[in-house]
Amino acid sequence: MSALVALTLRTMSGTLRDADLLFAVLAPVGCFLGFTLALGNLIDTGRMTYPQYVLPVVLVQAMLFGAMTTADRAARDRLSGFGVRLRTLPIPAMVPLAARMLYCLIRAVIALAAGTAVAWLFGFRMVGGLGYDALFVLIVLAFAMAVCLGADALGSRIGSVESSSQLLLLPQLVLVLLSTGIAPAESFPGWLDPFVRFQPVSQVTETLRGLAGGHVTGLGLAVTMTWCLTLLVVFGCLALRMQRRTR
Amino acid sequence: MIRQSALEAGRLLRRWRRDPIVAVQAVLFPTFLLVIYKLLIGKAVLAVTGSDSLYGLVPMCAVVGAIFGTLGAGLALPAERESGLLTRLWVQPVHRASALTGRLFAEAARTTVSAVVLTAFGVALGLRFAHGWIAAVAFVLVPVMISIGVATVVIAIAVRADGRAMVTWLGAGCVVLLFFNTGVAPAGVFPSWLQPAVQLQPMSPTIEAMRGLAEGGPVLWPLLQAGAWAIALVAVFAPAAVRGYRAAAEAGCR
Repeated sequence: MSALVALTLRTMSGTLRDADLLFAVLAPVGCFLGFTLALGNLIDTGRMTYPQYVLPVVLVQAMLFGAMTTADRAARDRLSGFGVRLRTLPIPAMVPLAARMLYCLIRAVIALAAGTAVAWLFGFRMVGGLGYDALFVLIVLAFAMAVCLGADALGSRIGSVESSSQLLLLPQLVLVLLSTGIAPAESFPGWLDPFVRFQPVSQVTETLRGLAGGHVTGLGLAVTMTWCLTLLVVFGCLALRMQRRTR
Repeated sequence: MIRQSALEAGRLLRRWRRDPIVAVQAVLFPTFLLVIYKLLIGKAVLAVTGSDSLYGLVPMCAVVGAIFGTLGAGLALPAERESGLLTRLWVQPVHRASALTGRLFAEAARTTVSAVVLTAFGVALGLRFAHGWIAAVAFVLVPVMISIGVATVVIAIAVRADGRAMVTWLGAGCVVLLFFNTGVAPAGVFPSWLQPAVQLQPMSPTIEAMRGLAEGGPVLWPLLQAGAWAIALVAVFAPAAVRGYRAAAEAGCR
């Protein structure tokens, strides 16, 4: 068994115990039901049904929740003697990071499946065909990886288990609730319009919605890809740098 | 005993002031929620109900601050158990109930503070009191009832040996209540099979009583319902809280 597999399994057995994997399933299901049942009749989404409209942002939020617990795990690994112990072993310094990220990928796939399944029951459909579906999954997972890398870097930097996920709570709330993922831009006050339209969560959810519906603009796709790639590169570099820091 | 309770309450309040989790969950999180929800559904609620969404959102966020602040504070309880503080207080010549009553005093004080902050924000955004400042005073005191009820539940759960994980789960349960209450959206917009649950859950009567106090409307009936919830929670969970507290304190004596 390689170090990568061993460390990934270690993370997984830990999260089975502290129920993070269960949370990965329940968070998108709960958020979807909450948004759909509470806000569905309140928000006018035109001809599109609200479940069809809202699922992308539910998935994005599930990925952001995953990032919060990632920050906690990274902080815990750094603080506990275990992180120090790992750095004395004859494995590349980036293997612990890679193991945490591999776990994040698994978690993201589980959350994606759970969210899509519950939305399916409420009438969400992917009508674009196989290519669009693959792109949909790819973007969700790329976004998940990007935010998890960022959260990992933050957790490693902060080095306090309790405050790192709290720090991420408010930004993710702002990004998710003030986006066109929840409601069309017209629902928000006019002065907020530029932020609501152009912030990354809006861009990503709009592209995802387009992919699910089977029609997507090249520009939207390019913007979303650019966001995902930029975040991946920036946060990836940060996370790698954090691994190099020694106390 | 009152002096000792006040002392314990003072200790907790000083502690919470420095604890980022309590500060975030009791004040910062609900304030953000208030502003964001106002921006998100302000127009829609005005169109559907004809009244400003603030009259539902400020009460909801005050209740959210009360409940989540209590949960955040509850997360520190297992640490106090492990560090032996509970045991230490148990063997001191102080009234043994003062630790619990003091904690409830502190919860009430914290809830009032966060309700005042949220109401101030609400007034800045356009909340007005139809019945003058006496209604405003009552307005910030209403969430105290539900906070005492929830605090009893949290204490009963958090003093157990597996308290930390259980409080986290309770928190997840409360997030559900956060969506399904009458503060964000009027009960009428929920699917009809869900409406009774939405109207009867513990947050909604409190929210309705506060809405009545601010906007004008029925106050007594929702207030009685909210009081009934608080009394029921205390009556059911207080024995467990006392028993659990005794067990936690005596666990360190051996």
